[in-house]
Amino acid sequence: MLRILAVLVFLAFGLAQEITVLTHSSFSLDKALIARFERETGLKLRFLKGGDAGETLNRAILTKGAPIADVIYGFDNTFLSRALEADILLPYRSPEIRNLKATLLLDPTFRALPVDYGWVSLNYDRAYFKGRPLPQAPKDLARPEYARLLVVQNPATSSPGLAFLMATVARFGEDGYLDFWAALRDGGVRVAKGWSEAYYTHFTLYKGDRPLVVSYTTSPAAEVYYSEGKYQEPPTGNLFPELSFFQVEFVGILKGTKNLEGAKKVVDWFLSRPVQENLPTEMWMYPARRDAKLPEVFRFAPEPVGSVRLDPVVMAKNRERWIEEWTKVVLQGQSPEAVRRARR
Amino acid sequence: MGGRGKQETRVLGALLLSFLAFALFYPLARILLLGLGTGFWEALGNPYYLGRYLFSLQYGLLSALLTLALAFPLAFLFRFRFPGREALLALSTLPFVLPTPVVALAFMALLGPRGLLGVDLYGTLALLLLVALFYNLGLALRVLVPVALRLRGALEAARVLGATPYRAFFRVGLPLLLPALGSAGLLVFIYAFSAFGVPLLLGGGRYATLEVEVYTLLAHRLAFAEAAALTLLQLFTLALAALLYLRLPTYPLPPGGPEPVGRPWALTLGLSAFFLLLYAPLLALFLEVDPGALARAWASEDFTPLPVALGNSLRFTLLAFSLALPLGVAYAGAARERGGLDLLGLFPLMVSPVAVGLGYLLAYPSLRGSLALLLAAYALLAYPLLARALLPALRSLPKSLLEAARVLGATPLRAFLRVELPLLLPALASGSALALAAILGEFGASLVLWRPEWTTLTLAIYERLGRPGEGPYREALALAALLALLSGLLFYLLDRGRGRIG
Repeated sequence: MLRILAVLVFLAFGLAQEITVLTHSSFSLDKALIARFERETGLKLRFLKGGDAGETLNRAILTKGAPIADVIYGFDNTFLSRALEADILLPYRSPEIRNLKATLLLDPTFRALPVDYGWVSLNYDRAYFKGRPLPQAPKDLARPEYARLLVVQNPATSSPGLAFLMATVARFGEDGYLDFWAALRDGGVRVAKGWSEAYYTHFTLYKGDRPLVVSYTTSPAAEVYYSEGKYQEPPTGNLFPELSFFQVEFVGILKGTKNLEGAKKVVDWFLSRPVQENLPTEMWMYPARRDAKLPEVFRFAPEPVGSVRLDPVVMAKNRERWIEEWTKVVLQGQSPEAVRRARR
Repeated sequence: MGGRGKQETRVLGALLLSFLAFALFYPLARILLLGLGTGFWEALGNPYYLGRYLFSLQYGLLSALLTLALAFPLAFLFRFRFPGREALLALSTLPFVLPTPVVALAFMALLGPRGLLGVDLYGTLALLLLVALFYNLGLALRVLVPVALRLRGALEAARVLGATPYRAFFRVGLPLLLPALGSAGLLVFIYAFSAFGVPLLLGGGRYATLEVEVYTLLAHRLAFAEAAALTLLQLFTLALAALLYLRLPTYPLPPGGPEPVGRPWALTLGLSAFFLLLYAPLLALFLEVDPGALARAWASEDFTPLPVALGNSLRFTLLAFSLALPLGVAYAGAARERGGLDLLGLFPLMVSPVAVGLGYLLAYPSLRGSLALLLAAYALLAYPLLARALLPALRSLPKSLLEAARVLGATPLRAFLRVELPLLLPALASGSALALAAILGEFGASLVLWRPEWTTLTLAIYERLGRPGEGPYREALALAALLALLSGLLFYLLDRGRGRIG
């Protein structure tokens, strides 16, 4: 039966115009919305998941010239410069741009349009910290009694990991961030490859042994939303708005698309109100549109005050070096002084 | 034979060379050019990458020593005839054809954070060494057992000439064994040094080989220069190991069969227990499979559904094999006459699949994302396995046989089809089993050259492992068990443990 279906679907590919959207593996949207778009436009949508956000973008760059998709969604501001420099995107001034929050329009050439934004931040397990003191300031994390409770992601292989590394650069400066990380390392911080490994394998909420994890400010709300009534209040909380890192996710049309008109329709659709209002409970990011209403559960996800952000140009210039220096200190155990000396 | 043989060799050699030029040398040259820039020296001077290199060396050496330490006494036990002997030997080679994500999952099912034993060895060197042993013990046995079997004649000759048993072993037996030990050790070193899937999935970030580092540099950071530099470093190291391997002398020994033994049941029980212990992870994998997960994977909406992945795997395997088969035969035919071609045939084994993928992306930008590249990579990585199995059979074929057939009036084609081919079939079948299984489970090159719609079973497992949580993990386990069954079946149908590797 399924095989017959597969054959039919395959035949249908040839008939309906297909638009392929390359996204990261956490992509998710309401199926009814997708079906409605397909009905109204006569286009067939296909979503290809390319791994982590950075990995996905690199797939697009490595297949430049013979693109594997028409539209790419999900690369963030830490990778914006790489996408623009690789010259894989076509400019598109969508009519929806005027409805977007102006602060999110980070690409003046309109090749990358903002779809949503959010913050990478520290989450803690409320049950674990019941009756135990929480760390009071970011510096406390480096103390052995907290470092051994923390799991972070490798910034070389994970976009929240990279965002958190950038938060520490923004917070402690070029001179101090390595000292902070050296102290975390000595204290016994654990490094996971990606977000899901950190959250679902090492976090105490999912039977791991680390009650502090790098995640998102919206994760506590997501826990309530998915708990099917088990939680009235979030089982987790956010720590340190001053160590939260601002992330914007972009959409763009890939150069070499065979269906430019269709690709434009998909971009407009990403920025349309129905999709924007669906994003929060699917992707757990805040909508880029000014007039999009937030779902009720987002009262558990207030926007952090005093979060840090870095200039995309500064990030573009230093990203690789920060990752390398982080690797030297945290994974190889080199001293921050030695690493700083090597800069010169 | 004379003129015809030489001409044949030349044609076969040219066929092989033109494929290698397209699929290996040109892409590698591109890496070389890119890697010789400033990034090369920077990468080599970087203590972090040096550390990765040293770890790869350490992992290769420790794996080789550990494997030899167990394979050596085992090879002597396998000299004896006892019930289940052939089955155990076949079982020991099975892991060699198992795809790395399957093996990684099998070990996690037993010794991972959610493992059956409740002991979590995830991210430890001990676990990685166990996996290396699991993978390579059979390989070492395949090299050592035939030599051990043939020692008797030489030892008896020494005894007849008056040597004590002790003296006979150390002065005659051991020197005869040394090349076999060396070649088994070098093979294990080559495979462990360039391991990819296992350290990527089980190393926990701390234990990464150069191969894993090359992948991270490429897929996550697009650092072409550093990736190229590390590829070169790896190539030099492996070329050195391969040269040593080819330089090892082989002594002609009289053929020998298994020897009778007094109490065969003790041997059967002891060895069975040992192998059961060693291959317990596979058992754990099957014990952990939940049929519901298989059903979910079949109709999965979040990941590549099972029918699609299975279809891709089978289609690509058949296509690539139809390319690897003539290549392997051509190489074996050419190398039969000229030993100097040997290195050429081993070359693809020295270059990491990840580097091959990287080279293709650099060398053929207009073909990026085309199926031809993926199939070329598969064929490149598979044909040496086929050829290495075919070569010994081809070389041991007495030339007089063919000449006799010709004298009796057979055409060259007829003589080949009726006389040579039937004699070569067993070796061809076991070489094909290795090649097919290698393509079916290929991971590194697939990961680099992959297009989402080409997701194979191997990649479908990796895809699910990228999103832990119980559900995807269960689906990955179910797919891994399926892939293990497929590889095992292939291997059983075509080889049954009689072929040789190396």
